[in-house]
Amino acid sequence: MVDHATAAATSPAPAAPVRAKMVQASKIYTDPAGAPKRVLDRIDLSLAEREFLSIVGPSGCGKSTVLRLLSGLTPVSEGRVVVGGEEITGPPKGVGFMFQRDTLLPWATVSQNISIALELNGTPPAERKGRIAELLQLLGLSQFGDYLPAHISGGMRQRAALGRLLAYGPELYLMDEPFGALDAMTKMTMGRELLRIWSGHEKSVVFVTHDIEEAVSLSDRVIVMEGPPGRIRSEYHIDLPRPRDLREVRKMPEFRDYCDRIWSDIGYSG
Amino acid sequence: MTTKTPSKTGRRVRLWVDRTALFVAAVLIWQGLSGTVINTFWISSPVLVAERLWQLAVSGALVWHASATVWQALLGLLLGMVVGVVVGLALHVLPRLAEAADPYIMGLYSLPRIALAPLFILYFGIGLLSKVMMAFSFVVFIFLLNTMQGLREVDQDQIDMMRSMRASRLYIARKLQLPSMLPWLFSAARISVGLALIGSVLGELLGANRGLGWYIEHASGRLDTTGLFAGLAALMVVAVLLNQVVNILERWAMPVR
Ligand SMILES: Nc1ncnc2c1ncn2[C@@H]1O[C@H](COP(=O)(O)OP(=O)(O)O)[C@@H](O)[C@H]1O
Ligand SMILES: [Mg+2]
Repeated sequence: MVDHATAAATSPAPAAPVRAKMVQASKIYTDPAGAPKRVLDRIDLSLAEREFLSIVGPSGCGKSTVLRLLSGLTPVSEGRVVVGGEEITGPPKGVGFMFQRDTLLPWATVSQNISIALELNGTPPAERKGRIAELLQLLGLSQFGDYLPAHISGGMRQRAALGRLLAYGPELYLMDEPFGALDAMTKMTMGRELLRIWSGHEKSVVFVTHDIEEAVSLSDRVIVMEGPPGRIRSEYHIDLPRPRDLREVRKMPEFRDYCDRIWSDIGYSG
Repeated sequence: MTTKTPSKTGRRVRLWVDRTALFVAAVLIWQGLSGTVINTFWISSPVLVAERLWQLAVSGALVWHASATVWQALLGLLLGMVVGVVVGLALHVLPRLAEAADPYIMGLYSLPRIALAPLFILYFGIGLLSKVMMAFSFVVFIFLLNTMQGLREVDQDQIDMMRSMRASRLYIARKLQLPSMLPWLFSAARISVGLALIGSVLGELLGANRGLGWYIEHASGRLDTTGLFAGLAALMVVAVLLNQVVNILERWAMPVR
């Protein structure tokens, strides 16, 4: 098992076509004192179609910045970001972003919040209602379409945010600790839903988390970052069977093995 | 501990009973003091004031004066709102200009507006316009500052969420920035109603031939305390009504929250 779980950049290139990549990408911010601060240092990263990639690393190492560069929300300082075969200068088509905070509009109902994504991706008005109902059903929110975000639980809010992301229908999902604020049980449920949706639609995902077990249980590949300045320290191909049951997979010795190696890689010796 | 929660209507009724009781108590105390402890010349009396208000209402003078005051205040409020919001938007889009202009804006904002009165009378005469400008000068900064603050406080993650879905600037303004700003605009409006009235009345005190401010000034000149209190009472009613209008608009524009 350990043999084909190579933890190196020497691993064979993914066979599937490239969905997105970063080439020698750096980000330099100005710190409060006005001095330039290198937050990402020449990142090379390639994401295959249909790949589920997670990024872990200590807080402040630049994980969110990687997602912001891939989403086109923040421009690179050096290097290139390519999404869907084209170098990007702003938010490209077919990319959806999910934040740790739900970012639902507080004055709009769950349905209205989801509707925003449908307006923005050009879904004809006549089809929106049906699509919203479908998504609410899928996420177990059917009863709550007319609720305001303030009147539902944190887990439901994050599910509604996931619904909005699904409604937008991106090819590439960028998720920044999307379940980080949820309790362990809700986190597991959300992870299961995400996997189900992902395996059904075969989209690509970049999933940032500080939860190593979550990363291993969900992903095809886990990248470990270090920093600042943010660099890729190592990567792990997670060779666990799919479809995965998130609870069963955690009982496998290989799973424990991956987690242990990533833990010690990050520098934690228990 | 929640076994005896009074119903919502029950609480409302009780509130209004309490308010009426307070009002009646205050009026009774006033009436009691008047002519006994304090000479009626100084504090008039509720009965006299009520009589005077009635006379003014019947003769049409009340509407004549109140409408001038309200109209000037509303025009000033509207003008201040439009100019304040537009300039606030412009300064938000041009942060460099905003930074450069900041001390001057704060300087003008801190200027005692009454010091502008001679200038306004010189420019705009003692008619409607000088009062409108007086009200405007009170209101415009409130809207300007609240607009800028409201725009600054829009959640950056929500802007990014919309940007990541390739929303246009106009879409973000319409669907996110404007609704986020509404509480700021309404809080500006609530403060501004009172300030616009102050501006309007101040303008009347300094030179006019009409309006509640003029009526009060006129009454004071003739040592007519009953007229003075009648004018003040009318002003209070006007202020309460205008505030009520803002509350209704607010509930209509932001039904939830
Ligand atoms: N807009 C910004 N301006 C200046 N520095 C920033 C900005 N955004 C992030 N940083 C800095 O970049 C580093 C990486 O941040 P981030 O990507 O959020 O890390 P992570 O998501 O891994 O916790 C941090 O040191 C942070 O302070
Ligand atoms: Mg982060």
